Amino acid sequence: MRAHARSALTRFSLPSSRCTRCYSTRQALIEQNAKINAFVHISPESAASASKAGALQGLKVAVKDNIATKDSPTTCSSAILKDFVSPFDATVVKQLRRDGADIVGKTNCDEFGMGSLNVYSVHGPTLNPFPYTSGASTGAGGVEERSAGGSSGGSAAAVAMGLCDAALGTDTGGSIRLPASYCGVVGFKPSYGLVSRWGVVSYADSLDCVGVLGADVPVVSRVFDRISAFDTKDPTSAEPELREAASTHARRRLESLALDSGRGKLDGLRIGIPQEFFPSELSPAVLDLFRGVLQSLQARGATLVPVSLPSSSYALSAYYVLASAEASSNMARYDGIQYGKRIPTNSLADLRNVASVYAQGRSAGFGPEVQRRILLGTYALTSDAFDNYFLQAQRVRQLVKDDFDAVFSIPNVRTALEESVEGSEGDSGKVDVLLHPSAIGSAPPLSPDSSKSPLDSYVQDLLTVPASLAGVPALSVPCPTTSTLLTREAGEQGYDGWPVGVSVIGQWGSDELVLAVGQAVAEGRRT
Amino acid sequence: MLVRLCLRRRCTPHYSTRLIHSEREVRKDPRWPGYEVVIGIETHAQLKSRQKLFSHALTSGPKDTPNTNVSVFDAAFPGTLPKLNPKCVDLGLRASLALKCEIQKRSSFDRKHYFYSDLPSGFQITQQYAPLATNGSLEVHLPDQPKSVRVRIKQLQLEQDTAKSTFHPRTLTSQIDLNRAGTGLMEIVSEPDLRSPEEAGAYVRTLQAILRAVGASDGNMEEGSLRCDVNVSVNRIGEPFGTRCEIKNLNSVKFMMAAITSEIRRHIDILNSPTPVVAQETRGFDENTFETFKLRSKEDAPDYRYMPDPNLGTLLLSEERIQVIESTMPELPWQIRQRLITSYGLSERNVDTLLKLDSAKDVPLDGDTTAAQGPIQYFDTLCEGKRRDPKVVFNWMAHELLGQLTARKQTFQNNTLSTQQLAELIDLVQEKQLTGTSAKYLLRHILSNPNTKSTREVAEEQQLLSFPPTSPPPTSSTAGVTPEAENEGALDDVVLRAMAAMPKEVEALRAGRMGVMNKIVGWVMRESRGRADAKSVKEQIERLLERR
Repeated sequence: MRAHARSALTRFSLPSSRCTRCYSTRQALIEQNAKINAFVHISPESAASASKAGALQGLKVAVKDNIATKDSPTTCSSAILKDFVSPFDATVVKQLRRDGADIVGKTNCDEFGMGSLNVYSVHGPTLNPFPYTSGASTGAGGVEERSAGGSSGGSAAAVAMGLCDAALGTDTGGSIRLPASYCGVVGFKPSYGLVSRWGVVSYADSLDCVGVLGADVPVVSRVFDRISAFDTKDPTSAEPELREAASTHARRRLESLALDSGRGKLDGLRIGIPQEFFPSELSPAVLDLFRGVLQSLQARGATLVPVSLPSSSYALSAYYVLASAEASSNMARYDGIQYGKRIPTNSLADLRNVASVYAQGRSAGFGPEVQRRILLGTYALTSDAFDNYFLQAQRVRQLVKDDFDAVFSIPNVRTALEESVEGSEGDSGKVDVLLHPSAIGSAPPLSPDSSKSPLDSYVQDLLTVPASLAGVPALSVPCPTTSTLLTREAGEQGYDGWPVGVSVIGQWGSDELVLAVGQAVAEGRRT
Repeated sequence: MLVRLCLRRRCTPHYSTRLIHSEREVRKDPRWPGYEVVIGIETHAQLKSRQKLFSHALTSGPKDTPNTNVSVFDAAFPGTLPKLNPKCVDLGLRASLALKCEIQKRSSFDRKHYFYSDLPSGFQITQQYAPLATNGSLEVHLPDQPKSVRVRIKQLQLEQDTAKSTFHPRTLTSQIDLNRAGTGLMEIVSEPDLRSPEEAGAYVRTLQAILRAVGASDGNMEEGSLRCDVNVSVNRIGEPFGTRCEIKNLNSVKFMMAAITSEIRRHIDILNSPTPVVAQETRGFDENTFETFKLRSKEDAPDYRYMPDPNLGTLLLSEERIQVIESTMPELPWQIRQRLITSYGLSERNVDTLLKLDSAKDVPLDGDTTAAQGPIQYFDTLCEGKRRDPKVVFNWMAHELLGQLTARKQTFQNNTLSTQQLAELIDLVQEKQLTGTSAKYLLRHILSNPNTKSTREVAEEQQLLSFPPTSPPPTSSTAGVTPEAENEGALDDVVLRAMAAMPKEVEALRAGRMGVMNKIVGWVMRESRGRADAKSVKEQIERLLERR
């Protein structure tokens, strides 16, 4: 792992003509980054963006390396896009530049966003920066190397290390929330369709969301507000009327709640606790911390409601079928001819067979996890398997959506425009948001455990995929460590002192409400 | 977001429909006695849209420089997304309505996967599970058959065209032109309702004419904007239908008919062999040998791994939108035919001439109906209801104007004579202010010197207006001063000069040798450059002779 970090240090060199001050800040970034390998490209400080006035003026923002930027490579952490520079900026990048943000660089991720630990990267894994930020880095055994989580591991680690104020990530099945949880930062996956995907390299289009990671909820809100806009270039971008309808519901609810968490009042807020989100794999320590959060919320006036999302237990399987199927389709363009290297074949017979030419290039260009998902997805789409896998998974997906719609008091404006809006709100069983642990445990160690199959890591996504399938907003905020927990010995109850996140899920389009509740959870720290 | 809980797989059409399909009587063919031939055709027609199906890039013609009309989406750059061009949907709807299809209010797009260098994204976006329109029909007329053949249209779907690859045998390299990549196509699938190569040819020609008429496609097979895949099977009369073979990518009606004939012979040879089993295959056509050859067997058929496109979702069509398309549809060929016959009383032959002329007009982009008018509209404008005699108008338009254009190696599209000019010309002739000869001269003159002046103006400039018919003396005595009075005097003048110039002939006339009359009239006609009416001249001469 250290070798990776060192190579990260030597990878960057900045032009010497830069002014000393700018040079030194970027230089500091480069040095800090070498410890954790969060950035795969650091942009020279741009005088233009530094002086540009705007809502995000001066804010240092990192961009995940699967989001297109025309002034730096967009590798998606894949060998097949090793030297690829996009001819255009993604819409989100354009919006950030327009608002005066300083785009500091591109962050490490799992190849094409496929992975939960940020280990499947041609740039090497990203290290969890917790040892450096918690002051616990000077142990006898050196720095403990744990995963930053994935796939937006570089974005989460960069924020946690203080290398930037905020970072863009993408979340297909938990790729923002999981690393946010492991690194102890705030990670937000907005409602599907609110943030443009133009320029975001597709992994699974029907699930991919661009989101924001930051040290706290306000900075995440600030960036999200600027990038949440209708984009004609994205056919799945939500129409302005739909956004308006959804946010009217959320705002009305926020007004009626008059959340004033500053004074500790959360009266009237109904928080659903979905019973399916506490599987046997969940570590007792996480459960303990989560209970602490619930107590704090209840103490401040929130009502806790046990709810059931019965189809959630099938969500993970459905997710892997759908995401892999779409991935196998989206990866088809990387054929070793237009992208990646044309691998010379040693036999003439291979040259004549077109398929083998493609196979050579793709085998060399894609890493193991991408290959695995391409194969899974290809199988799921074959005519023999399509009905049993792809169609079945789509049915499960609909059930998962229905489950969410059944528990939220705010209606789903995408499906229920015609339904009466006010009537449902008094429903006693319904809730404003759902709350669950973001992950089954704290950050797993980086050293590979050879006894585990690669599929074992898929269980990391168990708690995050339902919101992805339903396209609803989900926010992971670090679990506030209460005084009782802090006094505990490390190791007691399996608690290791590493960050753990708690997730807030809301109805589609009620992103403001989710962020507000997330802020209330975060403020539990003070009590 | 996309949810399709009950996706319909495309049923294997041939076998399921064949059993119930026997609405056509067996048609005996002397070329293959005892056998029945069953043919179905899949036609790919490029949409005549300004922009591609899912990107803003312009569509290209064969003369465009390769790789100039390419967007980042067409080239499958990472991070690009499709955006459905509503104009393409409108053109698809026009074609669907013309083919009497049921428009599907909900249709959707799917990805068809295969690796090939002309397919940058590794998949083609098509409509596998829910096509734009289904269950249509097309009446096909064959010259030697009294009854038209009704061919059922199974479905019409929108899809992307691929890039164009050109292989250079000398260098063993392929060149890829992305200009065509992403251009909108309609795939029009017929049921197996055709029974001979000739019917297949007539079907494609009829389809071509309809697509052109509604502006959905220019249907140009030479330029590759219309291609056909043909399914052929052969069975002994009275037995179940045979195994079909598909012949791919036929790009002319002539080749298609030759390919079908070759395929029929091949099937019959197999059926007559000791092992009479035709294998289901995909075949190509060799344009040099005029024979089909095997491309791949059923076992090698690729699995395209169709997947609903996660970006495009469901295409919802409102009743209003369909109605707008319906109400703004250009007239269809059979509707025009009917109208020309009933409202103008034109003969079938004349209607054919006009329709043929009309079918050659340029197909405008995006189905623009305000574009330059075609020959039928030209004819309609000239007739102005029935203010002008349709047969006279037809003669002037189809014989004189078209004859002149042909002589000049021009087509109707570059005709510079406006309808106003031709209408005025016809009126001048009808009112006898212009003789036929002068009118034809005038038409040539205006075509050679295109202008926007009125025909009368040009006629006056060219001094082509007729000497008015000289009225018999009893009635003309009290006539006031008319504009023609001057001309009247002019005709008298020419006649008088003629008689003065030919005293011998005048004498002969007086002696009753009427044969000489034509000589004098001819002189007058020459002198007046056709402005005079021969009959009037003759009468005038007679009057003058009497007067003396």
